[in-house]
Parts: sequence; C-alpha cells; structure tokens
Amino acid sequence: MSQPASDARVTQADRARAAIETETLLVRPASGDGGSVVARSSPMKKVAVYAALLVFALIYIYPFVVQLSTSFKTNQDAVSNPLALIPDPITTAAFHRIAQTDFPLWFMNSVIVTVCVTLGRVFLDSLAGYSLARLKYRGRDAVFTAILAVMAVPGIVLLIPKFLVLNSLGMYNTYSALIVPLLVDAAGVFIMKQFFESIPASVEEAARIDGAGTFRIFWSIVLPMARPAVITLTILSFQGSWNELAHFIIATDKPALFTLTRGVGQLTSGGLGSGKQFPISMAAALLMTIPTALVFIAFQRYFTQGANAGAEKG
Amino acid sequence: MSAVDTAAEPGTGRAPRRGRRGKGEGQRQSVAGWLFVTPTLVVLGLFLVIPIVMALWVSFTDWNGRGSPFSSRVNLVGAQNYAALLTEQGLSRQDFMISLRNTFYYVIGVVPLQTLLALTLAIIVNQRFLKGRTFFRTAFYFPSVVSSVAISLVFLFLFTGTGAVNKFLSIFGIDGPTWFSDPRGLIHLVGDWLGLWSSGSPPAALENTQVMSLSLWEWFSGPSVAMSAIMLQVVWTTAGTFMLMFIAGLQDLPTEVEEAAMVDGANKWQRFRAVTLPHLRPTILLVITLGVIGTWQVFDQMYVMTKGGPAKTTLTPAYLSYSAAFTQNQWGQGAAIAFLLFMLIFVLTSIQRYWLRDKDVAAQRKAERAQRRAAKRGVTA
Amino acid sequence: MNRTRRTATLAVVLGGALLVSACGGGGFKDESTSTAPASAKGPAALKMLIASSGDAETNAVKAAADAWAKKTGNTVEVTVASDMNQQLAQGFASGSPADVFYMDASRFADNAKNGSLYAYADQVSDNNDFYEPLRKTFIYDGKQYCIPKDFSTLALQINTDSWKKAGLTDADVPTTWDQLEAVSKKLTTKDQVGLGIGVGIDRLGAFIVQNGGWWLNADGTAPTASTPEVTQALEWVQKNVKAGNFKMSNQLDSGWGGEAFGTGKAAMAVEGNWIKGAMKNDYPKVNYKTVELPAGPKGKGTLQFTQCWGVAADSKAQAQAVDLVKSLSTVDQQMKFADAFGVMPSRQSAADQYKSKFPEDAPFIAGGEYGHGPINAAGMEQVVADLNSKLESFGGANIPQVLKNFDTNASAALGK
Repeated sequence: MSQPASDARVTQADRARAAIETETLLVRPASGDGGSVVARSSPMKKVAVYAALLVFALIYIYPFVVQLSTSFKTNQDAVSNPLALIPDPITTAAFHRIAQTDFPLWFMNSVIVTVCVTLGRVFLDSLAGYSLARLKYRGRDAVFTAILAVMAVPGIVLLIPKFLVLNSLGMYNTYSALIVPLLVDAAGVFIMKQFFESIPASVEEAARIDGAGTFRIFWSIVLPMARPAVITLTILSFQGSWNELAHFIIATDKPALFTLTRGVGQLTSGGLGSGKQFPISMAAALLMTIPTALVFIAFQRYFTQGANAGAEKG
Repeated sequence: MSAVDTAAEPGTGRAPRRGRRGKGEGQRQSVAGWLFVTPTLVVLGLFLVIPIVMALWVSFTDWNGRGSPFSSRVNLVGAQNYAALLTEQGLSRQDFMISLRNTFYYVIGVVPLQTLLALTLAIIVNQRFLKGRTFFRTAFYFPSVVSSVAISLVFLFLFTGTGAVNKFLSIFGIDGPTWFSDPRGLIHLVGDWLGLWSSGSPPAALENTQVMSLSLWEWFSGPSVAMSAIMLQVVWTTAGTFMLMFIAGLQDLPTEVEEAAMVDGANKWQRFRAVTLPHLRPTILLVITLGVIGTWQVFDQMYVMTKGGPAKTTLTPAYLSYSAAFTQNQWGQGAAIAFLLFMLIFVLTSIQRYWLRDKDVAAQRKAERAQRRAAKRGVTA
Repeated sequence: MNRTRRTATLAVVLGGALLVSACGGGGFKDESTSTAPASAKGPAALKMLIASSGDAETNAVKAAADAWAKKTGNTVEVTVASDMNQQLAQGFASGSPADVFYMDASRFADNAKNGSLYAYADQVSDNNDFYEPLRKTFIYDGKQYCIPKDFSTLALQINTDSWKKAGLTDADVPTTWDQLEAVSKKLTTKDQVGLGIGVGIDRLGAFIVQNGGWWLNADGTAPTASTPEVTQALEWVQKNVKAGNFKMSNQLDSGWGGEAFGTGKAAMAVEGNWIKGAMKNDYPKVNYKTVELPAGPKGKGTLQFTQCWGVAADSKAQAQAVDLVKSLSTVDQQMKFADAFGVMPSRQSAADQYKSKFPEDAPFIAGGEYGHGPINAAGMEQVVADLNSKLESFGGANIPQVLKNFDTNASAALGK
C-alpha cells in the first residue's frame, strides 16, 4: 500500500509543520468524504452511531450545564442535590459574592493582558514570519533554526528561570512582566512564515518594481492577503493569553495584578474562607468561560483551523 | 520583467545573486529583514534563551533565593543538586522518584486514552449520514478552548465524595471513592479485588525491596484514585483538539482508494485496518508525540486542584520543580529538576520518533539531504 | 547548517547573559546585616500579608491597621494570602516582600536562617510581658526576632445534641484515653463517627504529647520518633480508626476536623480556637461545647500554635513597620482580635481579662500550661511534609516504618 503524497514527518520541530499541512487540508475542500465511502449505511450502524454520539454529547455538555445551574444554587442545594439541573431555590447570591471580591479587577487585567498580547503577537509574528519567508539576508537560516529549536523547549522548564530574568530586569510585579514575555511565540512565527511562503510572489514583485518600500509591501499588500492566517493567529493568541496560568504565577505576586486564571484559581484553596463554596466557584468558572465561549462561537471556523496549527494543551 | 545583471559587483566581494535585484535593493532587504525579525529575537532571547542559561547556572549552585544568584556569596556546588535527585539516598530523591512514577502512570494512561477517544469521536462525527455535524464537532472541541482553571473547578465539584459522579455511580450500586482525597493506587486496588494481595499488609518481597528510594510495592502502585480523576479530566479536555486533526486526516482519504478496497471485497473492518489506519498513521504519530510532550509537563491541574496531594500521589516533576523553588527555597534543586525533565522529554520523543519512523521515508530524506548539501557546495563560490 | 555560525550565536547569547547579570541584578537585593531599622522618608506605604481564617479575621486586622494608618499618616495595604508559604517565599526571592506578615513558628527558623527576617524584638520595651515559651519559639541563634501575636491550643469539641441522644451526661466527659475510647464508641452511629481528627501531625501530635513523647529531643537537635512513647500513642489512635469509632477527616470527605464536626459527620473533634469562628459563620446550627483534651498515660497534653509579627529584612520602612506591629500588640488590640476571631492573647497581662470575658474558652487557655509547640528547627519542612503525607492514609499506615523514615530524614536535615 503506497503512502499518500502528503504524509507528515514527525520531528520535534516539524510537528508544527505537519500540523500546518493538516490545517490547509481543512481549508481546502475535502476530496470527497474519505473514511466513510459509498451511500448505504445499514440502519443498525446508524442507530449505533447515533447512540454513541448521544452518550458522548452528554458527557461533553453535562459539565457545562452543571456549571450553569450550580452557580444559581445555594451551597446546601449544590451539595445535597449535585445531579439536579434545576436549582431549588434559585438565587444569585454567588454572583453577588463574586462581585464583592476582586473579580472585576481580575477580569480587567485579563482583558488588558489578552488584548496587548494578541495585538503584539499578530504584529510581531507576522513581521518575523514575513522576514523569514520573503526577505533575503545572511543568517536567515540560522535565525529560523534557532526559532525552531526554541519551540522544542517545554514551557514548564522555564518557570523558575523566567522568574529570575524578570527579577533581574526589574520588571517583576509590573504589567510588563505579564505581557512582554508573551508578546512573541515561536509557533506563531512559524505559522505566519508557512503562510507567507504559500502566497505567490508576483504581487510583491509588482509593488517592488513600482518602488514601494519593504514595510509598505508587507503592511498594505501581503498582510491583508494573509487574513485566514492572521485570524487563526489571533484566535490562538487569545486562547493562549486568556487561559495562561503558570506564567502569571511567576510574573507577579501583587494581588492588583492578578488575572482571572490566577484569581479564580485561588478560590479553590480557600480564598473565600474555609469551607468549599461550590456555587461561588461555579459562578466564577462560568463568568471566566463566557468571553471564551463568545469568541469561540463568533470565530468557530477559524478555531478549528487553529487547533491544527500547533496549539497544544497538556 | 527585465532581468538585471547577475554578475558580481566589482569590489563588493559578494557572491553573484540569482535574484533580479540590484545592490541597493539587497541591502534594503537585509536591513528590513533583520529589523523585522529583531523584536522576535529580543523577546525570545530574553525570555527563552537566557532563562535556560540562567537556570543551568542556578542548578549548579546552592542559591537560597535571597540576593542575586550571581553574587559572590553564592557557592558553586557542582553536580550536588543533581546528585541529591538521582544518586543520594534522601528525601529529594524520594520525592523526585515519586513524581516520575506518578507522571509515568499518568502519561501511559492519558496518551492512549485521548488518542483513542479522539479517533472514535472523529470517526463518529465524520459519518456522512450525520446531521448537525458542526454542532457536535463544536461540542467536543469546546473544552479544549476553556481555561484549565475553570474546568478544574467544575471537576472538583463533580468529583466530591457526594458529588455528581458518585451519585451517578450509585445508580449502578457502586460506592464511589472520595476521589481527590483518595491516595490508593489503582494497581493495588485491582490486586486487592482479584485477591492477589492485600493492601493492608503488602507482600514482604515487594515492600522491603528498595529501588531508588522507593519500595517496589510503591513503584507498582499505579495511578492513585485522585490522579485518575485528573486523568479523566485531561482526556475529556484534550480529546477534542486531536479529534480535529483526525477529522482532517480522514477527510483527506481519497475515495477512490476506499472504493477500490470495497471492490476487492474487503469488509468494513478490513477496510479500516488496511486503508484508513495506514493513511492516518502520520496523524496518529503526531497526536501521540504531542500527547507525550504535553502530559509530561502537566502542571496547571496540580496547582489548582491538589498541590501534589493526597499523599504526594499527584506530584509531578513540573510541580515539584515549582514547589522546591517557590515554597521550599531550594532554587538550585528546582532548576535541576526542570532540566532533568527537559532531558527526559527530549530523550522520550527522540526514541519515539526513531521507533515509529517510516524507514523508507527516512532513507529518502537522507538521500535528499545529501543531494541538497552537494548542490549548495556546488553553488557557493 | 553552519557550525561556526551556531557557536558564534551561542557565544553571543552567553555573553549577553553574563552582561545582564553583571549590570542587572536590579531586582535582587543584597542581604543587609545592619540592625538599625530602615526608615521611609515621608509617609510610608506598608504592605501587610496575612493568612486569614475567614472574613472576621480579615476585617479585624484591616480595621486595626487602618486605625494605625490614620493616626500616623501612613498607609497600610492588607493582603490575604491564599498560599502563605509560597507568597512569602516569592516575595523574599524577588526582593520586594510584604513589610509585615504572619510568621508561623514552624517556618520561623528557616526564614531567620535565610536572613529574610528583621530582628526587632529588642526594640519592644515590654517584651517580657509575652509568655516565655512563646517568646522562646522565636529565638534563632540566640536572638529573638519577633514578638508572638497570639496563640491557640487544641481542645475537644463535643456536639451536645449527639451527646444527649447517646444518653451521656456531664459526668461522662472523658478525662482519660480509655474513657475517650468508650465515649466515642457510644457516639458512633451509622451516619456519625464518634471522633473526627484532622490529618497530619498538627492534630495527632496531641496524643503523642499525652503519652510523654515528641518528634525531636528537647533542644531540637536529634529526632526521637522511633520511641515507644510516640509509637504507642499513634498505634492507639490507629487502633480506634481501624475499629471505626475514630475517623480521619479525609475519610469523612472533609478538608479539616472542623468541617467534619460542623457538617455532622463527627460527634466530637479535636480542634483549636479557630473553630469558634468557623462554627459561628459556617455551621451556626450545631450546638457544641469545648472541654480539655483527655489526659494520656503520661498526663495531660495538647499542641500549641503561635505566630509572630514578622518584619522583612528587605523592607524599606522597617521603623514604621515595627511601630505598626507595636500598635497591633497592645493589650487592647489583642483583646479585640480575641473577640473577633477567637485567638488567645500572647500577653500575660491580658490573661485575666481574657479569662473573665470568655469563660467558655477555659479549656483552651488551660492548654497553655501543658501544650507543646510545633517543630521549629530549621530545615525540617520537607521532612515534616513527607511525614504528613505518609500519615495521610492513617488507617493503613505502617507506623514503625513511617517513624523510622522520619528519624532518618530528620537526622539528615538537622545534621546539615
């Protein structure tokens, strides 16, 4: 059996490239419906598939429904009737309690950090990606290899040393500590480089002949053509910074700089007094997830593309 | 387009360029090229490269967290931190071995499960007769997008002793454990149930043999009940991402190949094994590699939910590295653990790549590389 | 790939690293060895880090700090820690810790040894008013670093409703181990266990003291866990856990003994003063009373817990910080704290006031006389954490083995 031409090579650095190829597969119209050929599926098979689907759908949707309903319960109701989906009585006490904590502050910090990181990444990653894809200069290959190598380092290894560097630079406990280290990510550079390489060079050539400067070409001509990749990068950056935790732990210990992940995370370790207050933690989790859900629904198509572009969650 | 001369400019010593541009353009590109890439290099260099160097330095010192790690008061202790973790009998080695054991069971549990689940979901969602496919694909993928903190909170609630999961199990007459407080190992429990041994008084041979600061009985504990709850949570969360990769792979399977197999008389199962699986091989490889890399680094869930407990059964090297430094002021050891973890991941993924490599393709790549090298040597003057 | 280019890049990077460290080190402070307090010019903005038992404590501390701030024209920002040890450590390492913070006795020696603490006890004129055992807890290398802020002891809480239902009277209040065992057996029903105990040596230690043993020797230089006194005490508790009339809090799906007690899973509990606030706020419907822990074979025993007001060596406003601490330690203020969240004043001159105001706390105060403080030797944290983790599955633990491991680890840690 011969291997299809588009088989992906898996090396530590190549994994993202392979993922790009799968991404482009999603973008291209699928060549027929591989994997489930030829019309007639037996009714038995249909029943089996639908049954399995139902089970999995339940498993995947139930926790979110529980989250929603528990945030409107009293703690006693939550503890005694965990399976019940209708609160009895219905109360918004959990949300009031949350409003009294620093939750709004955490929310604002998360928004600030996410917006800055996303804008930064989209701009800087595209710049670097374009440079690596289209501009010719000595050392370009070395730079690219260095970036690939960097992608291979597991993030967790950097927790302690990043703390040390932030401290040395005097950035500890400032907004820059939260934002600057996240401003560039190697995977994003890689994605943009791959995409720029796939754009035909003729348009740039024409512009160059007309005398446009390199940055003009990049900004006004090439970047707009890269819309799908830019949107993918935006989604990935949003996801990465909104949900980031480990970096924020080491970047600051000032409560005024806590983001949602950090602030809500400490609710589990008795942040609101001893004793587990489930409606409060469920309400906090719910409020944290709503922005993600909104962005997700709006950009659904691009999310699923972005999933294949190298994003990985332990 | 008119071709501009390609001969080398006299006096510049630069090799003739194949491009159609003149000297000025080349310089401009060079400047722009470096300019564009500099912010990236600065950030990555400052916050990725230098930290690695700094951590390596700290792992060879006895720095206790006060003052600069480069001050003269900090002593170089050579490989002492590494020795304490690997060769010297003591608490540090015991904790490190415990974290390795826990994560080992975690990885061999999570990676196959999430790969299988992702593949199953992909096959189900890919069925042509399915209505509302987008909805289900979205539902399965959504948890991957949500913050691990939010999901941890939900699962903490679902898995309490009197929580939803146990209430559900009680419908089948199963008395669920107090998940996150239960440190008993699964292998121990299964052995109890099968009558192989009794956890209350473990077989002396296993309990009294010590390997690297842990008894054999402790090595063969399997993941604890608490760890299993976390494993279930992680599989549930990440399967969606890999499902999308499998869907992409499935949709790329050319229908002609499958039809040919059908014409040849292969039934559904044979088709799946002989046609679909080999086609998906690269994707499966990718999913497993990403899975291994990700699972060995697990940290968020331990930080939010268990802090390494109960009884250190959810301790992982990543969390141990963090807590050794940030709570116990043993920065040298924390850095050493981080590096050992790095080495481990690197070795594992290299081994896996080598085992699962496609020998034909590898040989082909080698030939191509040799060709390219020869070509390059031929070009440069 | 060009090898020379790669080595060149590596060299540049390493050079850059050294450069950063040489001219940087901006965030790292050099250890100060002077004992004269650093003083902020103009109004000081102090940071205070506390580990709170609940809203009552947080509000009381904030009120006291604000009062001082208003009086002196400074400001105090009070932060409640969710993970005290981690936040303190991160603060010390970054060189900008909180100025004033709770310093627990068990963590004191490590931080003093580290140079993270500023010794100001000699600036407190009435230092002798604090109970001597408490003061001694905070002496390292012959110097007292800080003043104790309060103390608490363990006592026995009894659910009076369950007590009556089991047909027990005041005469049945246990004063010996045998009586405790018998009473707990009578109180154990299908839904409620007789006695609920929190996990770890911070509760089990009480029984060890009652049997005349302790983890370390008198001057804290060598471990003494593998002794009959310690072994017998733990095995006695384990016997009752296996029999089912005692249960550990993690067997009752509770985070601590107080939660098991308040949610009705245990009819009795072994907890300290802090349980008063928890019962009032979280479990107001439970009727209970507190009595002294029963005496063991070697007499009465309980555990004492105390914290001191720590001032950071890296604080830039040490003089103001010490002034704040002094104002938080007056007899009046200590009584206010006692009122708010049930801790006992560390000043001897406040004892009578406290006894007359809170007669129901007599069992806790009595513990002050025969209570044993925590392990406060330097370098023991990892060893204690390991011991606690091995005691988590208390019902099935191999006690002699666990104690032997503790001794080995502790010898190694103390020997350093």
